Amino acid sequence: MDIVVRTVGLTRRYKMGDAFVDALRGVDLTIARGEFVALVGPSGSGKSTVLNLIGGLDRPTSGQVWINGTELSASDERTLTRHRRQQVGFVFQSFNLLPRLTAEENVALPLMFSGVPEKERQARARALLERVGLGPRLTHRPTQLSGGEQQRVAIARALVGQPALLLADEPTGNLDTAIGAEIMALLKELNQERGLTLLVVTHDPEVAAFADRIVRLRDGRVQEGGGRP
Amino acid sequence: MTWRDLFKTALSNLGRHKVRTVLSSVGVAVGILTMVTMLSLGVGVQREMIRNFQSIGLETLTLRPKFEERSLFNQFGEPRRTKLLTPTLADELRARPEVVKVTPRIYLPNSMRISLRIDGHEVSIWVWDTDDEGPTEPFSSPVEAVAGRTIESDDPGHITLSTDLLEEMDIDDYQALIGQEVELVLRAPRGDTVAFPFTVVGVLNGRRGVRLGFSDQLALKSWWYNDPKLLETQGYDALTVRTTSLSAATRLLGDLEEQGFEVRSTKMMLDMANRGILIMQAMLGSVGLVALLVASLGIANTMIMAVYERTKEIGVLKAVGAAPRQIRGLFIIEAALIGLIGGVAGTVGGWLLGLGLNRLIVVIMAWQELTIPQNIHFFALSWWLVALALAFATVVGLLAGLYPAARAARLDPLEALRHE
Repeated sequence: MDIVVRTVGLTRRYKMGDAFVDALRGVDLTIARGEFVALVGPSGSGKSTVLNLIGGLDRPTSGQVWINGTELSASDERTLTRHRRQQVGFVFQSFNLLPRLTAEENVALPLMFSGVPEKERQARARALLERVGLGPRLTHRPTQLSGGEQQRVAIARALVGQPALLLADEPTGNLDTAIGAEIMALLKELNQERGLTLLVVTHDPEVAAFADRIVRLRDGRVQEGGGRP
Repeated sequence: MTWRDLFKTALSNLGRHKVRTVLSSVGVAVGILTMVTMLSLGVGVQREMIRNFQSIGLETLTLRPKFEERSLFNQFGEPRRTKLLTPTLADELRARPEVVKVTPRIYLPNSMRISLRIDGHEVSIWVWDTDDEGPTEPFSSPVEAVAGRTIESDDPGHITLSTDLLEEMDIDDYQALIGQEVELVLRAPRGDTVAFPFTVVGVLNGRRGVRLGFSDQLALKSWWYNDPKLLETQGYDALTVRTTSLSAATRLLGDLEEQGFEVRSTKMMLDMANRGILIMQAMLGSVGLVALLVASLGIANTMIMAVYERTKEIGVLKAVGAAPRQIRGLFIIEAALIGLIGGVAGTVGGWLLGLGLNRLIVVIMAWQELTIPQNIHFFALSWWLVALALAFATVVGLLAGLYPAARAARLDPLEALRHE
């Protein structure tokens, strides 16, 4: 089996005032290429922390994160930047689009940092926006788009760097049920048509139902190794 | 990320807060304006000075007699001359191969009352040097004959009158004056009065007064001091020595100083004036420097604010793969652009101010009835000054941006993303 993500004994301890909070107490998780995994659990269970550690936005207190054979927790800032640029794409609950850029510019943004020429950036951004159904909205700014459309732009932005792994943190959290279902259907399609590996954090069973496998977290530990919905 | 991307992004970020960008760059503009105005004043005055000194000739020396030092016993009246400028000395100098010309000069004392009498009208006047060698001091315009001719160094019995003087006397037919007999009237404090007859040979532009040849000036001065042997007892008042080159002038200056004469070279005067200008520039330039220092604090503050406001955005940029180096670059370029904008505004402002002040000076000079040399530019903006001002403004902005940019680059991506 081709492994994309493997975490070994992952712990993360935060300092809050004078006290320490253990967000993760040893998480072992393996995700194969092309797998669609939902990470579920009550709030405070450490779901987002796992996602941030895999995405290279945060460093574990102990344990290891392996992405495509590279160990992240011991990496320097340069390696983490490269990891975020090439290996992962993020989709956030609140979309996090830059308000002054058009949909196309928002999608092309990651490519600017990796030094892709402007013409190619535009072409790739347009192709992806077409794919997520926003072909006629290229020049709209985020404020001119609905929530569902904004999240589609964010998904296109996450995919533009052709990452091995798409990380989504409550991608439907700011959307109503119908639109949320549309977004999840889109993710599922991308998973199936491109073999995209997906890790979606959610507390919503309906959202989790789109996944191939559900991993439950409780109090910083994986409760069940994996299950089919 | 290419430079083009960096500049485009930085410009678009600045464009988001136009008022703030403009306000932050105003400080730089004021500083650069001050510096540009001051430096261009320095450059302009220096250029005018060099032009003027060069028209006198840098290969020229001026010899003055050595005077006794002033003490309790000789503090009134003119001090005794201990080293005279004799006709023999003048001849010795003329015999030197490096000397082109020696012009003796007699200066009439300030206390001397001289009047000019034309057709029974009398007007108080001042006697100027012959100036047959061209201007002998900086910022004097060359003397030209409007009618007749100029006076020569050895031109006994002849006189030239100035247009200013004739205007005052309501005489406008200059040509009719040529060949006319006039008198210079001297009234000594001892009660004697004498009238020297002269023939008008020319009407000259410029300074109000008359010009006489050397021998007539000597005659006037001899009568005033009641000393027919004035040349033997006092010598000349000055000798202008023109040499073949600047280096010959410098060598001769050393020789003559060793012999105990008071020598000044045009070069020395120019050097001294240059030093003065340099000090003035340094002083005024530092005013601009202080303004720029304050401006750089303003830019730093603006950029710190921008980093704070854009914390979440920085988090997003980091999440999509921006390297700390790229974030730092973005903010530094933004700060440098604020500096550059201020620099451009300040340079243009300084140039306009220079033009305005130059015009004002010319107007004031005309109003004060001072002679204005042709195309005088007291404020000169050279290309190197423009380049220097813009580069300096940009560097000031860049330096002010270093700390905020480093802060932005250091932000933890996760904390930045949580920032609202």
